[in-house]
Amino acid sequence: MNANDMTWSELTEKQTMAAQGIAVDIRGVNKRYTTQENAEVTALHDINLQIKEHDFICVVGRSGCGKTTLLNMLAGFEKPSDGEIVAQGRKVDGPSPRRGVVFQKPPLYPWLTVRKNVEFGMRMQGVKPAERAQIAEHYLELVGLKDAAERRPYELSGGMQQRAQIARVLATDPDVILMDEPYGALDALTREHLQNELLRIWEEKKKTVFFITHSVDEAIFLATRVIVMSAHPGTIKMDIPINIPCNPDDPDNMEKMRAHPDFARLREQITTAIYEQDDQE
Amino acid sequence: MKRLLATIRKGSRTIQALLSLVLLLVLWWGTTAAGLINPLYLPSPQSVWSAFVEANSCRPQSPGSSRIICGEQQYFLWQHLVVSLERIGIGMLLAIIVGMLVGFLLAEVEWLNRIVLPYINFIRALPPLGYIGLLIVWFGIGDTTKIWLLFLAAFPPIVLATLEGIQGVNKDRANSALSLGASRFKAFLFVIFPSALPSIMNGIRLAVGFAWTTVVAAELNNGIPGIGALAYLSGTELNTSLTIACIFVIGIAALLLDGLIVLITKLVTPWVGKD
Repeated sequence: MNANDMTWSELTEKQTMAAQGIAVDIRGVNKRYTTQENAEVTALHDINLQIKEHDFICVVGRSGCGKTTLLNMLAGFEKPSDGEIVAQGRKVDGPSPRRGVVFQKPPLYPWLTVRKNVEFGMRMQGVKPAERAQIAEHYLELVGLKDAAERRPYELSGGMQQRAQIARVLATDPDVILMDEPYGALDALTREHLQNELLRIWEEKKKTVFFITHSVDEAIFLATRVIVMSAHPGTIKMDIPINIPCNPDDPDNMEKMRAHPDFARLREQITTAIYEQDDQE
Repeated sequence: MKRLLATIRKGSRTIQALLSLVLLLVLWWGTTAAGLINPLYLPSPQSVWSAFVEANSCRPQSPGSSRIICGEQQYFLWQHLVVSLERIGIGMLLAIIVGMLVGFLLAEVEWLNRIVLPYINFIRALPPLGYIGLLIVWFGIGDTTKIWLLFLAAFPPIVLATLEGIQGVNKDRANSALSLGASRFKAFLFVIFPSALPSIMNGIRLAVGFAWTTVVAAELNNGIPGIGALAYLSGTELNTSLTIACIFVIGIAALLLDGLIVLITKLVTPWVGKD
């Protein structure tokens, strides 16, 4: 995004947000759908959320609470019915490489090698081949796929495909990474490995992450803030900071976090918040 | 005998396929050699073979005659085949170019899709020989008509396959390209088009099949040189051996053409079936 093509108010907004350390500001967002029977359904109601720079936000909530809808609006794939989402001073009105998206099922391109997949975003943005190769090499190494770089996506395991997708998103250097249950389909061991890897990258690259998950444990492991959403209509129910010490380089990181006295309490609190609404319905 | 059957049952596919061919030839040879059928209706394999050889070579008009004639209907059989294949080539090329462009357009512009698609389905539903009369009135009895006919036969399946391919592209895949910084045009060129390619290739394969059946039929009118015309004319001249030789050539050419498309498909979309 070039400062020259921003309006004065956008520039001012950008500076204000930067001064307050806000990466994305979600302001009074509603999302309504019209079903095929012409009924109107409110998917999201009055969502207000300030995502700070270098936040690791995990969103939990039962199916149908609008988590993915919110992510799609942050990505620019869908537009809010009311309200607005502002990133870097500018209203989100379409997809942008500033906000990278990691999908649950890695949409890698099977006609390209893993390396070419990682280079894809840079190629689309006109980065020169030599620079592209250098950056791709760095991220392939970061996610441990250096040896698989010349293979095709369909020759990789599910965990490796997800790593390749993460490298591809990181290579475009986004400010915010939006992740939609990226580890949902992986086995427990791979999942834990990738969680530590993601924390390490998040630390090193100072990214802001918005991460949707079904697993309360995963949310507590990863997040600096856990957002609990409730359904019908989708609203933010709880916003809990997580302060359990975390060291992704320690192989026993997960066990140590789980043994921390706050862990069980937070787990209880979040789980209750997710399932409480059963009583109301 | 038992052991022979067991060998066949367990043998490789190639052996079984060869056996099928040998069986057919033996059966054919047996019936004709026993004189069970008038050779006008079913000539012997040897006579079909010699008709095939004669159609590809020069010979005296009659034994001892100094007048030499070459091939059949002034062309060798292979020349008849090549001309038919040329017609297919031109018709298919036009159908692929126009069909894909129309398919892209209909996939992108929804209202145009609703206006145009019914007519494309209508043309597809028509047997091409149903409208050849109209094409002859419009374009005469020359090659223009035949190429138009092939084009009209081949183009609807390509449009429909392109449309289906693009509409079937995984939504995450299309979105991922946009959020990696591709413009809409680049996302189309580098992600949506290759994603639709397997379906497009399927459409092309179907279209080649239609085109081949159509070209043989289209040559019934003023089709010399042309393999379809030769098959038809030799029949009307009661040269049954040559007709059967032509039928074999038409069938084998069709199979080879299909094999070629399958091979090209494997080369341009090697990922299909592995995803």
